[in-house]
Amino acid sequence: MTPVLGSVSLSLAAGFGILSVILLSLYIRSGDYRFFLAGRRMAIIVSALVIIATLMLVKELITSNFDVDYVAHYTSIETPTIYKFTALWAGQSGSLLFWVFILAIYSLIMIFQNRNRYHRMMPWVLCVVLTVQLFFLILINFITNPFEPTNADFVIANGLGLNPLLQNLTMAIHPPVLYLGFVGFTIPFAFTFAALLTNEKGSLWVRSIRRWSLVTWLALSCGIILGGWWAYQELGWGGYWAWDPVENASFMPWLTGTAFLHSIIIQEKKNMLRVWNTILIMLTFALTIFGTFLTRSGVMSSVHSFTESPLGPIFLTFVAIIVIVCAILIFQGLPELKSDKHIESLTSRESGFLFNNVVFVTMCFAVFWGTIFPVISEAVKGTKITVGPPFFNQVNVPIGLLLLLLTGVGPLLAWRKTSRRNFIRNFSFPIGLALIAAVVFLLSGFRGYVVISLMLSVFVVVAIVTEFKRGIQARVNRFGESSFVAFRTMVRKNRSRYGGYFVHLGIVLMFIGFTGQAFNLKKEFGLGINDREHLGNINFELKQLLEEERPNHFAWISELLVTGNDGNTITTLRPEKRIYFHRDSNPERRQPHSELDIHSTLKRDIYSVFSSIDTDNDIAFFQIMINPLVQFVWYGGYILVLGTLVALWPSKRQKLLT
Amino acid sequence: MPQNNKVLITVTGITLVALFWIYWVSVNPMDEKAMVKFISVQEILQTVNNERVRIGGIVADGSIAISSTNKLEVAFTLKEGDSLLPVEFIGTRPDLFKNGAEVIVEGLYQDGSFHADILQTKCASRYEGDLRNASYYNLDEIEI
Repeated sequence: MTPVLGSVSLSLAAGFGILSVILLSLYIRSGDYRFFLAGRRMAIIVSALVIIATLMLVKELITSNFDVDYVAHYTSIETPTIYKFTALWAGQSGSLLFWVFILAIYSLIMIFQNRNRYHRMMPWVLCVVLTVQLFFLILINFITNPFEPTNADFVIANGLGLNPLLQNLTMAIHPPVLYLGFVGFTIPFAFTFAALLTNEKGSLWVRSIRRWSLVTWLALSCGIILGGWWAYQELGWGGYWAWDPVENASFMPWLTGTAFLHSIIIQEKKNMLRVWNTILIMLTFALTIFGTFLTRSGVMSSVHSFTESPLGPIFLTFVAIIVIVCAILIFQGLPELKSDKHIESLTSRESGFLFNNVVFVTMCFAVFWGTIFPVISEAVKGTKITVGPPFFNQVNVPIGLLLLLLTGVGPLLAWRKTSRRNFIRNFSFPIGLALIAAVVFLLSGFRGYVVISLMLSVFVVVAIVTEFKRGIQARVNRFGESSFVAFRTMVRKNRSRYGGYFVHLGIVLMFIGFTGQAFNLKKEFGLGINDREHLGNINFELKQLLEEERPNHFAWISELLVTGNDGNTITTLRPEKRIYFHRDSNPERRQPHSELDIHSTLKRDIYSVFSSIDTDNDIAFFQIMINPLVQFVWYGGYILVLGTLVALWPSKRQKLLT
Repeated sequence: MPQNNKVLITVTGITLVALFWIYWVSVNPMDEKAMVKFISVQEILQTVNNERVRIGGIVADGSIAISSTNKLEVAFTLKEGDSLLPVEFIGTRPDLFKNGAEVIVEGLYQDGSFHADILQTKCASRYEGDLRNASYYNLDEIEI
């Protein structure tokens, strides 16, 4: 019964969605407020129905109703309950439903927040959100319905189940966090779209969408970092980012979204760069839909994507419509959007933000270019080319370093124009220290990008620390506060600014981590008991090889004694080779799995994978990697999250506003 | 007030340099692994070249042969449609590598055999297959 109700809810949601759009258009035409109220009520019902349908699918998943095709495909009786629940976003139709589910929640929050505000913009905002909801609802209703009954003429005793390798908590929460980020950009997009149509000029709505975008950006950042962290901990190739099309799909809106978060500050404060911001948020939204397309269509051969499906062309058409409509709107609105104020000087905070925008968008284009290059090459030349990580690294390293430079330069520039005197005062200390650092790194034998990257990191950190110091000093001198109180008050008084600086610090730490990759070492070898091999100046000795049968798998456990050249013990690593379903009569269903072991310090990670085993001769084969500074990436991630939270924390003034 | 020309020129300059840079890297990649042709098994059997290529296909049933002296060394047959290609690989094999697995290999075709230095499996988010064959499988009931 529930599947039928779920299906019906989804059809009704689509119906009410269309009705709501009609009512809202009537309001826009006639100005009769009753149409607006009715339209808004319908919009609430659409979201409510979507939420109900999602809960019904969850119920089917948890109670293992294998009459539903989706449930039978992605869960089985043995699947632990938590993963029965997460199967909601494991497959195509479920994840599309999950997309609208998140949008429904966002939509309800947005409607509630703005129930008494923006009467001119709201009908358009609702129309845009509803159109996006309708697009997904049509896909779910007509192309890939999660409530589709199993097409079988026999009783299904059990479902196929989820791959045990994906039964991992990080992997379970990575997709929804990423989705929270993807879907969230719909709301700022809808507001910008509506503002463009109604020619809304005020800055109040700009502030509210800046907060929306920041929350969304945080979720997207967390999703990306979690994905990298999972890949590093579980996949065993020793890296966290492979420039896979689906990773790029999440990175592109992150880049344009980050650019938007920066330049929206200028719009809020100075009412400038409005054309830019409009383009950026529209681009970001289009890229989230494009990203969903990349994940769901199978156009790109990617480890993440689902097999070819009819969704591809439909998604692409939707992206094309978005781009065309936005382009027309921006072009028409251009005279209104253009600000009467202009950037006054090259050395102003405003132009710093503008350069930052240009560089972010360029990087996004470079990633986009590399991602779609295979498709273009196939269409134009007939040969399919795959673009590998070396391309992305080569292209993006200089662009990334330029961004790092701007991270430090931007906050030091004054609004309107930095005077020569200020320029010298603000820049001489960070530049001086950075140059000294560069000399030290050069003398220590580092060369090339590594030196530039580390030098810039020093520059940015020093610049940020001096900014903090200057602010604290000013308060100490003026109010006689203690340094700590001054620091706290200063951050509280301007959360978005100082939160932003914390985020910058996080980014610097991540760059230091990325730089460490230049020194990665890797080796594969086989060891008998008490045999010894070395990588760099670290020795590995196989002390023991144990076998163990555990409840759901069989494991060979190795014991690698890791010592330095001086003979001191560093650690003991115990990577395992496991076989899941080892008792299955069908050997093809037995699933090998390498459980890796990592010894992490701030300086370097020693990463060990138990590749395979020669049981006849008792030889274990390992893949060992030494990855310097990886931990900086994760610590940078934590600081990024904390900084964003500082910026998001509501201040008293904002509480009064809402 | 007119738009500051210096700002405009700098922005245009940065954009042009960046676009040229992206173009330059796509034409002259530093690393041979940056851009690799993806071709079919049939194509590689017909052409003789020493170019680095990438090939996708299925591991032919029963073709996996692991060397008895070095367990990291494997030979197998890659099947795409009706075309078959012998492949050799030395290194850590992905866990999902087995008979019937969908794999991607990258390397050079020499002397009638493909020498791969990259071996990847497609990540399956679920077990593919017929629901009819899904066995009831209770971990607690397994005899040990």
